[in-house]
Amino acid sequence: MEAYEKLEKVGEGTYGKVYRARERATGKIVALKKTRLHEDDEGVPPTTLREVSILRMLSCDPHVVRLMDVKQGQNKEGKTVLYLVFEYMDTDLKKFIRTFRQTGENLPANVVKSLMFQLCKGVAFCHGHGILHRDLKPHNLLMDRKTMMLKIADLGLARAFTILTLWYRAPEVLLGCTHYSTAVDIWSVACIFAELVTKQALFPGDSELQQLLHIFRLLGTPNEEVWPGVSKLMNWHEYPQWKAQNLSKAVPNLDEDGLDLLYYEPSKRISAKKAMEHPYFDDLNKASL
Amino acid sequence: MGGNRNGAFQYQDFESPVLFASTLKLEGSKPFRISLISDPDMAANFWTSSHHKQLLDQEEVDVVHPLDKERGITLDDFKLIKMHMANYIWKLAQFVKVRQRVVATAVAYMRRVYTRKSMTEYDPRLVAPTCLYLASKAEESTVQARLLVFYLKKLYADEKHRYEIKDILEMEMKILEALNYYLVVFHPYRALSQLLQDAGLNDISMTQLTWGLVNDTYKMDLILVHAPHLIALACLYIASVLREKDTTAWFEELRIDMNVVKNISMEILDFYENHRMITDDRIIAALSKLKP
Repeated sequence: MEAYEKLEKVGEGTYGKVYRARERATGKIVALKKTRLHEDDEGVPPTTLREVSILRMLSCDPHVVRLMDVKQGQNKEGKTVLYLVFEYMDTDLKKFIRTFRQTGENLPANVVKSLMFQLCKGVAFCHGHGILHRDLKPHNLLMDRKTMMLKIADLGLARAFTILTLWYRAPEVLLGCTHYSTAVDIWSVACIFAELVTKQALFPGDSELQQLLHIFRLLGTPNEEVWPGVSKLMNWHEYPQWKAQNLSKAVPNLDEDGLDLLYYEPSKRISAKKAMEHPYFDDLNKASL
Repeated sequence: MGGNRNGAFQYQDFESPVLFASTLKLEGSKPFRISLISDPDMAANFWTSSHHKQLLDQEEVDVVHPLDKERGITLDDFKLIKMHMANYIWKLAQFVKVRQRVVATAVAYMRRVYTRKSMTEYDPRLVAPTCLYLASKAEESTVQARLLVFYLKKLYADEKHRYEIKDILEMEMKILEALNYYLVVFHPYRALSQLLQDAGLNDISMTQLTWGLVNDTYKMDLILVHAPHLIALACLYIASVLREKDTTAWFEELRIDMNVVKNISMEILDFYENHRMITDDRIIAALSKLKP
């Protein structure tokens, strides 16, 4: 690991620390994600393996974070650690939204549109390669402040892994559906869209039940009519009956084209690829993204 | 013939819900007539995958590493040891109970390792179980290292090759480097079930026969050389000839190069032919050249 000079710790995730570092040979700034190997004699964690193998496959897309190298090293105790070497991105969408919340300004409509398009493009690319992200949220979307480039990160989530934040979780997952599809990620995309506009999470639940109630309150409590099969899902119970509200109330400042992107029923939810062709993006200079 | 001698097939659950196996999209030509993939947005694309970019020519696969040559390992020995280790992975997998897909991925890893590394430095008796360990993690059905080591000791009574957990973990890191962290492997199984259905041959007898054939292809290096759906087609072709099913018209409609499919079929049949001549003594002799 002499090839890199650690500059500062920039984050600490579930798997280990992330450093900003300089590649000695080129002076290039990179992000080093240090992965602890399990202390319980199980070698490289499966989540890391999955992330690495998925990134090896998807890293060629401009909207997926670029994995430049993988290096084995030793920590102070002489144990093997794994370093994932990523291109350095200076912020993420969570921090980006926060800066606007602090100043009270709104994100410019064209910025929202550009970020949304890049997100859809990256998600379409993942889905095109048979990869579900399963944990899309502003924190996992890296950004470059100057160029406004958006890149999807943290692709390593295994099924068994308990996702910490519920806010972007699709209703079919909350209701115990075991067969996930691409629609799961599209739900998260829709939640992120709303958050870009309002600077607040659309469904900020703090338990699975509350998360569902948040969704039902806005979109109406689903029934067999709007969502065939919903009452047969594992976690289905009788819920308070809410009528669907007008979405533009919850997400103001959003023109009508944009509203079409927020869908409720999984099988009818728009695909990332189709979303890219949505009229909402018509006035965007797509070639530059 | 077929994979029956290896015991039960586990074809119900071979497919990971996250990583879809081989796709049926053909480059250049019209997309495969059979686009049976349930969710078209999820059609995993083999052609843009790292697996596709890593396909090798047979001549590249059939290179005995100089270090192994020094020990007197011939090309025949080389193939024999890899086959033996594929069987070994299979056996071990039945003890630790993992899906067929994990076995297939493990064998593919092992074969990839030996296109780059010598058996002298990377002892197959350690590489094989470690590949199974690694594949179980990559395919989201992790097997505990201590469980693996337990069965390893049970299967290999041989005192000289007793491996402990730390050996497996050390080799895991070496294999990851040897594979350059490319861990996604596409297999013929998914394509096979789609093709069988499309050809109207998805009865139990044909399914079992073709499934067994595909399993047996992992005793060869086919997965390093050919696209998974072509391997599936070759197995379907052999099975239809054996069971006297007329599939000529169906194959014609596929717009694929039938010569390639027939060549792969010939390779498989040749393998079965030669397989009869293989004795345990030959395998033991080949392995003993590696480490006295």
